[in-house]
Amino acid sequence: MIKLPALLAAVLMAMSTALHAEEKLVVYNWAEYIPESTVADFEKETGIKVEYSTYENNEVMYSKIKLQKGKGYDIVVPSAYLVSKMRQEGLLQKIDKTKLTNLKNLSPDLLDKPYDPGNGYSLPYLWGSTGIGVNSKEIDPSTITSWADLWDEKWQGKLLLTDDVREVFHMALKKNGFSTNSTNPDEVKVAYEDLQKLMPNVLVFNADAPREPFMAGDVNLGMIWSGEVIMAQADNPDIHYVFPKEGAGFWVDSFVIPVGAENVESAHKFIDYMLRPEVGQKVVEELGYSTPNAAAKALLSEELQNNPVIFPSAEIMKTAEFQNDIGDAMKLYDGYWEKLKTGE
Amino acid sequence: MNLLNFRRFAIVLTLVWLGLFVLVPHVLVLLTSVMSPDAQHLAVWPLTLNSWERLFEPVYAEVFWRSLWLSTLTTVICLVLGYPFAYIVAKLPNVWRGVLLFLMIVPFWTNSLIRTYAIKLILGNKGLVNAALLGTGVVDEPLQLLYTPFAVVFGLVYVLLPFMVLPLVSSFDKLDSTLLEAAQDLGASFWARFRLIIVPLTMPGIIAGSLMVFLPAMGMFYVADLLGGAKNLLLGNIIKNQFLVVRDWPFGAAFSVALIVIMAGLLWLYFLANRRINRQGGLDDESL
Repeated sequence: MIKLPALLAAVLMAMSTALHAEEKLVVYNWAEYIPESTVADFEKETGIKVEYSTYENNEVMYSKIKLQKGKGYDIVVPSAYLVSKMRQEGLLQKIDKTKLTNLKNLSPDLLDKPYDPGNGYSLPYLWGSTGIGVNSKEIDPSTITSWADLWDEKWQGKLLLTDDVREVFHMALKKNGFSTNSTNPDEVKVAYEDLQKLMPNVLVFNADAPREPFMAGDVNLGMIWSGEVIMAQADNPDIHYVFPKEGAGFWVDSFVIPVGAENVESAHKFIDYMLRPEVGQKVVEELGYSTPNAAAKALLSEELQNNPVIFPSAEIMKTAEFQNDIGDAMKLYDGYWEKLKTGE
Repeated sequence: MNLLNFRRFAIVLTLVWLGLFVLVPHVLVLLTSVMSPDAQHLAVWPLTLNSWERLFEPVYAEVFWRSLWLSTLTTVICLVLGYPFAYIVAKLPNVWRGVLLFLMIVPFWTNSLIRTYAIKLILGNKGLVNAALLGTGVVDEPLQLLYTPFAVVFGLVYVLLPFMVLPLVSSFDKLDSTLLEAAQDLGASFWARFRLIIVPLTMPGIIAGSLMVFLPAMGMFYVADLLGGAKNLLLGNIIKNQFLVVRDWPFGAAFSVALIVIMAGLLWLYFLANRRINRQGGLDDESL
């Protein structure tokens, strides 16, 4: 009967060596924003144990990083305007590019932008657009051409909006001919007052996956992200994507390493892994968002490369306005946003 | 001697625990609520009552009343469903009573978030309820159930019902059946027995259950987020958004404190009611 303690001791020893030997990486990403197998493949190849958690919008992520002063996570994937904000507040650390062998794969189109000149602190992961989703079984997609169409009284209690302050304001700002990055209080107020008129039409603010209510048949019209449409179409080809004529919302999400990250080495390995052409290819194939990775794009099938939802036409891109940091004006947006959601 | 030492140790441990994890955090929340909001540091000096004043803005008063109304509705429905159920359970032989309580608890081994997602599938336009209504011809168009206050109350009742039933069962347990027999012998009708004996004697259970449903119902933001379409329906949604999205911590803290004050007020009423019941020669209510 001496076996049990001996076994226990062996297990404990095995556990403690495992604890010491194991490299770790804590990733904090948007929900459903990486193919499930990619994380597992990365773990298998590198032996690094990945702890993965998700957030539903930029603001929640920012609050946590801010509160923990940049500790607790090794990789985060903020949108451009928050890359800028977090960089200026000293929440990010420089990415050591000498550790990245796949940097050359990135297309220069989305590098060296004002939110992070020279890409010292961020490298783009995916970009995409926010437009209008239509279920063609219930609504003729050709009748929906603009954000303004959503204001029609006949959609009372029918619309889905994303639970994202910048995207919702984008609609109203564009509808009134303003920039999506407007910091002019008068313009933002006009947008707010216009959104108040839209609220009776809103059924739901969706935070995690806008395609779900479309696929469940609970909504047939509303805002949706380009990749969500591609994912939804795999199961339900009736869901269509419309680029509103005032301009869809365009955004880039980038890998950053918070200043207090504990596994900096692993974080660089992860970024480098994600920059591989075949990994980038799989990301686009499974998520349907657009990749800034030129080498990955070249590997995609003709059909995907020419899919206008993933890679919009040159005509659309010419007028596309990307989200940018708007500094202190954000407080103004947040205040109005809270009022809108409370019903005022 | 040892026993005395242990007692002292246990008391000190409990006090330290409560002080560290209950008192200190609450003092911090209270302190935050009178500080000034700041984008960089979340909350800074100087002290101000600004956040407290904002609580009384009409838009928040509206949320407050809506929250109160939804929570009250949830409590009443839980009581109407839970009271007869608890009565039946308490009157059953021990074996059955165990089985029934077990069946009520089993779903709660699954995370409530997952069960809330399941409710979405049931209430959706193509969900079970609408399929049944359409199939039987009761309605021609699917009813909009999901993303409405109805769905929120449905979800709250589902999640909170056991908190109503359990205190009621324990109250019914203590109900002396000889009193009811005596009343019956003296010619009291069922209604009279119910009104004059059963309800007063189970009042501690009714109040305890109602509090345990009502108070959490005001704060369950995820139910309102998932089933109510993420509009700010409950006080809990406002608090969550103030902390996570808008980052106005003093205002969020003021809201939290206000909620705590409401809870404390209700608990005080409970205490008063209990004392009155005891004085009237009702139940010995130490266990609740």
